[in-house]
Amino acid sequence: MEETKPKLKLAVYWAAACGGCCVSVLDVHEKLFDIISAADLVFWPIALDTKYHDVEKMPDGYIDITLFNGAIRNTENEEMAKLLRKKSKILVAYGSCAHLGGIPGLANFTTKDEIFKRVYFESESVVNEKNLIPVPEYKAEEGTLFLPSFYNDVRALSQVTEPDYYLPGCPPQSERLLEVFKAIVSGAELPPKGSVIGAETKTQCDECIRKKTENKRIKKFYRPWEIKDDGITCFMEQGVLCMGPATRAGCGYRCIKGNAPCRGCYGPPPGVPDPGAKMMSAVASIIDEKDPEGINKILEDLADPAGTFYRFSLPVSLIRRKIL
Amino acid sequence: MENLRIGVYICMCGTNIAKIVDVEAVAKFASEVPEVVLAKSYKYMCSNPGQEMIIQDIKENNLNRIVVAACSPNMHERTFRSALRIAGLNQYLLEMANIREQCSWVHSDPVEATEKAKALVNAAISRVKLHEELESVSARMCPNVLVIGGGIAGMTAALELADAGNTVYLVEKENHLGGNLARVDLTAPYLYSARDLLTERITRINNNKNIKVFLSSKVTSLTGYIGNFRAVIQNLVSIQEGKTRDTEVEIGNVIVCTGYKEFDASRIVHYGYGKLPNVITSFEFEKMLRAGRIETKEGKTPKYVAIIHCVGSRSQEFHSYCSRVCCMTALKYAHEIKSAIPDCYVSDIYIDMHAFGKGHEDFYRSSSQAKTLFLMYEKGDRPVIHKAGPKDDCGMLIEVNEKLSGETIEIPADLVILMVGMEAREDAYEVARIVNISQDKEGWFIESHPKLEPVATTTDGVFIAGTCVAPKDIPDTVAQARAAAARILARIAKEKIEIDALYSEVNPNLCSGCRLCNLLCPYSAIEFLEDKKQSHIISALCKGCGVCVAACPSSAIKGRHFTDQQILAQVEGLLAEKL
Repeated sequence: MEETKPKLKLAVYWAAACGGCCVSVLDVHEKLFDIISAADLVFWPIALDTKYHDVEKMPDGYIDITLFNGAIRNTENEEMAKLLRKKSKILVAYGSCAHLGGIPGLANFTTKDEIFKRVYFESESVVNEKNLIPVPEYKAEEGTLFLPSFYNDVRALSQVTEPDYYLPGCPPQSERLLEVFKAIVSGAELPPKGSVIGAETKTQCDECIRKKTENKRIKKFYRPWEIKDDGITCFMEQGVLCMGPATRAGCGYRCIKGNAPCRGCYGPPPGVPDPGAKMMSAVASIIDEKDPEGINKILEDLADPAGTFYRFSLPVSLIRRKIL
Repeated sequence: MENLRIGVYICMCGTNIAKIVDVEAVAKFASEVPEVVLAKSYKYMCSNPGQEMIIQDIKENNLNRIVVAACSPNMHERTFRSALRIAGLNQYLLEMANIREQCSWVHSDPVEATEKAKALVNAAISRVKLHEELESVSARMCPNVLVIGGGIAGMTAALELADAGNTVYLVEKENHLGGNLARVDLTAPYLYSARDLLTERITRINNNKNIKVFLSSKVTSLTGYIGNFRAVIQNLVSIQEGKTRDTEVEIGNVIVCTGYKEFDASRIVHYGYGKLPNVITSFEFEKMLRAGRIETKEGKTPKYVAIIHCVGSRSQEFHSYCSRVCCMTALKYAHEIKSAIPDCYVSDIYIDMHAFGKGHEDFYRSSSQAKTLFLMYEKGDRPVIHKAGPKDDCGMLIEVNEKLSGETIEIPADLVILMVGMEAREDAYEVARIVNISQDKEGWFIESHPKLEPVATTTDGVFIAGTCVAPKDIPDTVAQARAAAARILARIAKEKIEIDALYSEVNPNLCSGCRLCNLLCPYSAIEFLEDKKQSHIISALCKGCGVCVAACPSSAIKGRHFTDQQILAQVEGLLAEKL
């Protein structure tokens, strides 16, 4: 990367996120210097003290690339998503939360009221004698104070604005980030808008070297600690639910390599309308029992099915949230 | 994307639909849906003028998608597909909305039924937009036929096919042809000799060069698909000798006529079968008749013979069905006993007399005139057989709670004949697995449609006939055997077989070889390509049932004509708010 080239302007922003995505940018280690030599970081709340009003002052399209991580949980997240959309040439939904709603998206199995009740009144560590809950507006002596409003639903970035690309993962693998970054810097032709980048179109099974046979019939589900994993046989064939068959490859099947079943953070391959439903339907197909009671018994061992099948994708799924 | 030009037709089905659904309102609604060029209602869409209207409209208005809201697609999808073909449009650009069986027939409120019909039509419109032109494929039709089972059904079918010039491989497990019929003496109601019926068939088979008979043999594998099967026939004698003598044959179609076995009478403990020497089964009695000697175990001519009906049949404990042949066979016994031992007292202990077939009722009447004592017992209240005392002039006494008189009657008997019912053979499961057909809860093979497809199965090219399907008498068995043969002959005459375009396919760009689908296919159409590490569907075997489509966790398997997108569009159309 030559010094003479005009540097790209790069922004990294976190919405409803755990911080892992921002850290994953640092996980490129010494390659960070390559990034900084090719790009100026103009906005990155975890590392730089740029204020929101500084971003507002930037001309539209000023930022070349924004890596937007985190889901949309409150008004602040949504406002920033829309602001950064306006200010960026390329807006990348970075990581599972921005891509699919991610782990915060599991909150759609409950409601805002239930969450507030739990957090501000019921939690074992909370003492709230005055029964206070946050309000978006508060008139103090010094003037009116504002807090972002908490939405009832968690949404993915694509549900509030139009990202150009999706870079999946919880967090995305740094190698894939570098690849994407280099491609943009080199001026290579970019994939069509709306593409998932830094991942494959096939699933984990395509890369995974565990031994796969046709014998996928499940008589009993096990949690990973309940079996003596031989490290060789496909997890599904050992009765351990692995999201690999329904999850894009691209991470280098790192969890499976570490002898843990895939959790599905890279999201569904193209053309899957509802990843959770798809995997549920797949699992239902291979349960080796015909008697309804027997089936129920087998399913009892499947811990937290909703959280397992929709671990990263509930907000973008067909069901989107719990209704009743 | 092409410009969509949709034609929508609402059928009144005479008054079947129109009396509940306001077809004009539905047509008006449809005409306002974007991309719908025209929407019409008509008295009978399936009639010639109805079809002609579609054909004309397609030609005149360049329609490229058709929705017909009428009856179930099971009824008339073929009719309308053919109309599209005639008009030069791919036949799969049609969608039917079922507003009869699923709407007008099951609703009584015209307003709500009309709203539902609109929703169903809207769903069909949404779906048809995503329909794709599909082409069916054709495969060669091998004229050779495999017939499994050498009883009356198998022999009849084999002769029918071979007489038309086709090679038939007739496989029989026993060392002789004839099946269960070879164990019977005379046949009801006309008292023809079973032996005569069989001898004629067997002689003809032995003289027919087109029929290759495999005795003491069974089929151990069937692979391929309609028109192109391969079967392995194993010689059972050589297996006993520790050798294998397998013959591999190429065939286009299979008829399974493996027959039945009789109910094991010892399962009904208090009839004492196996304990009381003179309680015998109907088949054991046939053996006596064939030998020409009716006698007790002690070698005496019986003075009293009792016949008990429904042994194993029409009971909740054993088989709930009627075995259909036993009533007439029992009457036949009465005739044969009376003619052999004129002064013998025959009592016939029955639940109901099932005399449904041709000539059966007359046969029943003539039997009652021949002084047979008929006693009726209540289902579940079985007669009880005791050993007679030393003073009695008979070997046994049967206690019957006679239903018509309401009295308990004791009947003397020297010989008791148990009319054992028919049941599925123990090896029916193995046969079903090999030829890939299904069994019902009683073990009988399942036909493709109980009324309209009585000899076809869900596996194309595999037919069933005779008592392996359900209990039946000889004429019905023969009729089924000939029906199956006729179905096959019609296909052979065509030389090629059209395979419906509605199969599923694996997208090799998406399949990651997780192998989850591999064992799910009920038609064994999925194979795993070891070199590519991907699954593959043999389209000729696939029926498009969608099991693998639902199971594929990566949407790599697409059900042609039933894609996720088409189904979701249909759901969205159905649930659309603005109707």
